[in-house]
Amino acid sequence: MTFEIAHAGHWLTSIAYFVPVVAFLIWLGITQIRERRREDR
Amino acid sequence: MFLIGHGLSVRSDLPIPEWLFGWAAAMVLVVSFVALAALWPEPRLQAPSWRPLPGEIGRVLASRPVEILCGAIGVFLLALTIYAGLEGTQSTTANFAPIFIYVIFWLGLVPVSVLFGDVFRAFNPWRVIGRAVAWMARAVSREELPAPLEYPAWLGRWPAAAGIFCFATIELVASNGDKPETLAIAALVYSALSFVAMALYGVERWIERGEAFSVYFNLFSRISPIQTRDGEVGLRRPLSGLPQLEPLPGTVALVAVMIGAVSFDGFTSKRPWNSISPDIAQFFQDRGLSPEYALELTFLLGLIGGVLLVAGFYRLGVLGAKSVGGGFSARRLAHEFVHALVPIALAYVAAHYFTLLLFQGQGIVYLASDPLGEGSDIFGTADTEIDYTLIGADATWYWQVGFVVAGHVAALILAHDRALALYNDPKLAVRSQYWMLAVMVGFTSLALWLLSSASV
Repeated sequence: MTFEIAHAGHWLTSIAYFVPVVAFLIWLGITQIRERRREDR
Repeated sequence: MFLIGHGLSVRSDLPIPEWLFGWAAAMVLVVSFVALAALWPEPRLQAPSWRPLPGEIGRVLASRPVEILCGAIGVFLLALTIYAGLEGTQSTTANFAPIFIYVIFWLGLVPVSVLFGDVFRAFNPWRVIGRAVAWMARAVSREELPAPLEYPAWLGRWPAAAGIFCFATIELVASNGDKPETLAIAALVYSALSFVAMALYGVERWIERGEAFSVYFNLFSRISPIQTRDGEVGLRRPLSGLPQLEPLPGTVALVAVMIGAVSFDGFTSKRPWNSISPDIAQFFQDRGLSPEYALELTFLLGLIGGVLLVAGFYRLGVLGAKSVGGGFSARRLAHEFVHALVPIALAYVAAHYFTLLLFQGQGIVYLASDPLGEGSDIFGTADTEIDYTLIGADATWYWQVGFVVAGHVAALILAHDRALALYNDPKLAVRSQYWMLAVMVGFTSLALWLLSSASV
């Protein structure tokens, strides 16, 4: 198996595609926690 | 493995990096979601809408002579494909069978179904032969044939899911899957299995639920504004055929296979796969498999992984939707929203195979004149060549992004409309859709990454 540590720019470009998904999931998680806390109160 | 390239050349003149298109697409989805929440307060697609075409056009198009003509063409093409595969040259590009099956039939019928409705039903050679045999059997015996067995409810669309998976395996996994003879034998085996199943469960029931290609193209045809009903062609709202999809067992699996197979096909051109797959193949070789079988098994595992990934991601969205409340089980929600995945499957197919259809599809012009690849020139088109200048790399990318965004916006609309019908509380309906939006953004990002020139 070859993991390429060099050429990090290639990896970063690929990761960049999934930034919106991660950002959205984080926002969704925070929203969900807030909703639950509000319901608990 | 079918090795006629999907994409061509390098995108050189894009105004922004490719990954920024992914971000823009995600933004379009979020904005569409907000717009739907604000401007689409009532379900509009749940009730069937249909009106006949003006005049007699609708009846003529669905008339018996047209049906017989289309059926005869379908049977002829099946016979020609099998004959060319068995008797013609064994070159992938010089034989009618591979180009016809993989490009004209498998890819070409998708846009045709989306634009003109369930066209394949009319041309379906297995349905035609099954009906003709039943008709002849009735005529010979002069009495009603025994009633077919009842189609088991649990079987649902599982046979179709299995059939499409097998097709994807031949296309993407089998090392000789592009060989004309392999395809001809596969067509013969599939025909035999279909006839047995039709004899057991009845022609129409099997076509409707079990025959893989009927079910596959029917799913896409539900996007179309054209529908044939009671022997007449008519119009309906675009997308409105999908909410009427009966949520049978196996439907989620079928759509997961549809999206997962395309995803895996795209993934095989990426560096992670090309880095890992030789090691996996070597692992199997060390355990006694031949290099060819080891590679095939590796690709099979990859294909299964792609399907499971898609199914798992959808499952995640469903569990998220369940967590907001409403009292629905995950199983119920998975069935209620599965129809929204069909435009995503369409987006994946259209974006990924756009250039393959556009370029290799031209091959049918010379193959029509020389289907066996043995030097004949029936229509005088045997010397025609493929024009690779039809569309450039940048324009292809714009089209691909357009397909992906349009497909996912359509999916959002369908999911939103269903949520409004399902949940009594509109706020709960919108909240449940946050998770579906996450699924859509995920599929959008994945699609654009797979299509991008990023090799890693």
